[in-house]
Amino acid sequence: MTVEVLADRGARARRDEEVDVVIVGAGPSGSVAALHLARAGISVVVLEQGEWPDYADYTGARPEHELVSTKLWHPNPNVRDNPNDYPVDTSTTDINPLMFAGVGGSATLYGAQWMHFLPSDFRVRSMDGVAEDWPFTYEDLLPYQLEIEREVGVSGLAGDPAYPPRGAYPFPALPMGSVGQRGALGMEKMGWHWWPGSNAIPSEKFGELNPCVRRGTCLTGCPEGAKSTTDRSHWPLALKAGARLVTRARVKEIETNEQGLATGVVYVDANGRDRRQRAKVVIVCANGVGTPRLLLMSGGSRTPDGLANSSGLVGKRLMMHPFASVLASYEDPLDSWRGPFGQQVYSLEFYETDESRGFVRGSKWNCMPSGGPVGVSGATGSKVYVAESGRFQDFWGANLHENVARRFGHSLIWGIVGEDLPEESNQVVLSKDLVDSDGLPAPQIVYKVNENSNRLLKFNIDRCLESVRAAGAIETLVSTPVRESGWHLIGTTVMGDDPKRSVVDQWGACHDVPNLYVMDASTFPTSGATNPTATIMAVALRNTRRMIGERRNQKVA
Amino acid sequence: MSNENAFLALADFLIPAHGKMPKFSDVCGYADVEKSLDFRVDLKPGFARGIAVDPGTGAEARLESLNKEDGEAFSAITTIAIATYYMSPRVRELIGYPGQENVPYDSKATQIYLTNGSLGHVIARGRKYRPTPGL
Ligand SMILES: Cc1cc2nc3c(=O)[nH]c(=O)nc-3n(C[C@H](O)[C@H](O)[C@H](O)COP(=O)(O)OP(=O)(O)OC[C@H]3O[C@@H](n4cnc5c(N)ncnc54)[C@H](O)[C@@H]3O)c2cc1C
Ligand code: SF4
Repeated sequence: MTVEVLADRGARARRDEEVDVVIVGAGPSGSVAALHLARAGISVVVLEQGEWPDYADYTGARPEHELVSTKLWHPNPNVRDNPNDYPVDTSTTDINPLMFAGVGGSATLYGAQWMHFLPSDFRVRSMDGVAEDWPFTYEDLLPYQLEIEREVGVSGLAGDPAYPPRGAYPFPALPMGSVGQRGALGMEKMGWHWWPGSNAIPSEKFGELNPCVRRGTCLTGCPEGAKSTTDRSHWPLALKAGARLVTRARVKEIETNEQGLATGVVYVDANGRDRRQRAKVVIVCANGVGTPRLLLMSGGSRTPDGLANSSGLVGKRLMMHPFASVLASYEDPLDSWRGPFGQQVYSLEFYETDESRGFVRGSKWNCMPSGGPVGVSGATGSKVYVAESGRFQDFWGANLHENVARRFGHSLIWGIVGEDLPEESNQVVLSKDLVDSDGLPAPQIVYKVNENSNRLLKFNIDRCLESVRAAGAIETLVSTPVRESGWHLIGTTVMGDDPKRSVVDQWGACHDVPNLYVMDASTFPTSGATNPTATIMAVALRNTRRMIGERRNQKVA
Repeated sequence: MSNENAFLALADFLIPAHGKMPKFSDVCGYADVEKSLDFRVDLKPGFARGIAVDPGTGAEARLESLNKEDGEAFSAITTIAIATYYMSPRVRELIGYPGQENVPYDSKATQIYLTNGSLGHVIARGRKYRPTPGL
């Protein structure tokens, strides 16, 4: 039976039926929960505001790719302007949050860079005296990380001395192109750490995933079906196991009874009608912006400050990983439009705290190809390499031809991801005037890049320039902090033991509403500096396993 | 001035001939421009305003005033010009761009970093993470 037929069968919800679990969001976290609950024989319905991806819509293999993808596949929902997304009020933020609505979630557009958090990420208070320790450790999470890697089909090379020993990756690392080799050369010249990239892109056929053919358009959807997203890695299995998935279903409220227990959700269906899905347990997997938005929209008159918010922390402590990029051009050809895009090389040289640098915590660098001629020209689009005040003539005329000749096919980009420390003033609130296509309040982001992040980025950019110049760069362009870089949305329903200082416990259960769970990165007490999806899926798996094991003790309405 | 001429004048100022590279109108016709606009209907209103600016003034002055006064129109004109130009097969040939091509490879092939000793140096530099036992 095809996925399409299964998906269709799954979507037929039975009126007024109470299921064991309803999940909001079919991104990486919701997909993990759905698959494992369904396999345990638990009835589960997933409500997703977006739709199934149509791979024919990904333009990567077509000449118009650079023209179309900067709109249709832009990671900022405000630019995409698709009614399946909700808009975000970004008038009060230094960084725009990026995401995508659909089966597979924001990973539809992710770079598939696959990194575990490091041991110290779970112990920042104990080691560096800042923020909070996590309620569990690196070692507690590792078995779940490895299990998720097998489900996702990750490729990589084991043995990195920046991590404790771990088992082999399911697939060999993707081939390192000239871009990766040049990035590594700079690090080698400096005597710094680097390692071949690990990516959620299997290098060989795996289940519904095809082998990667290095088309290099991962960030705008993979037309080959090679980049691992859960519409291919998890949903075919979840549907077979009996999970039901309803698309174009936007949840507007989590309902509770007099005892303060969740009874289900109300959602707006594809025809604009309100529907109710009753459930014994509600799991929210709507990401670090969508999850607090939904909790703040819920609760009614009983909890006017939002559901599960007695701590006042719902929406607060938003972390988005301030990001800088360094583009470096070289004399010799690097074929730098070729993928994977993905990371060909990463570095954790400056990951751990060194107080002599003037900031705490650290960064992860990833080396990527620079892409097609329009992007590297810097002349149009997101203006990543263009000063807003710059004269337009600097990017056009003869300068355009010279910039493209120097950069196109000859350049690489180092992305620098900085750990973001939690601050209550950085938060998601409900917008007073902006609404989505169903009239529901849009989230508003209130976020400032803090002083620690500014110092961290400056230090790392200076080091990165040393490295690329050591490898012979003839031109460097820096962008910091990149405004369109909020791809990691973390921290807005923090986990912890104390109900006064946290929203959920270490298993994702809300202190105030014990049958309401959050299983996305909203629960993370700190952000690490690595790309978070591996850790998001591993934590979701850990929570789901615990829910299955404890199902007889679960308090329900 | 027709729409076609108004746009081509702006496009040729933005993308003139230089070295081996041709100017915009040598490799792209207005039909190509219209095709690009059909891919990006969201740009059509800005594009229309952009080409309607007083044709009496020169291309540079018109672009200057659009850049200052109507960012959306400036962005529509420049986006369509650059994207259409680099879609041209002749331009792609000149810059050596086959498009986002498919490049199969042998996943089992030994990677150069394993044979040239470079990864060995990273390993030899030793452990980087901070262990956290008992914390
Ligand atoms: C451009 C880009 C590049 C990235 N690159 C990387 C990378 O290289 N490596 C990495 O690890 N991570 C990367 N990320 C981050 C990664 O995509 C996220 O960490 C991951 O998708 C989070 O999974 P999630 O399930 O928690 O949330 P999401 O994937 O955001 O999924 C949430 C889902 O919930 C749905 N939803 C929200 N609200 C509602 C509602 N009210 N009703 C119904 N449905 C709702 C949304 O439509 C969405 O589908 C990137 C992200 C972006 C945008
Ligand atoms: S590089 Fe690989 S994973 Fe990325 S878009 Fe191309 S084929 Fe897909």
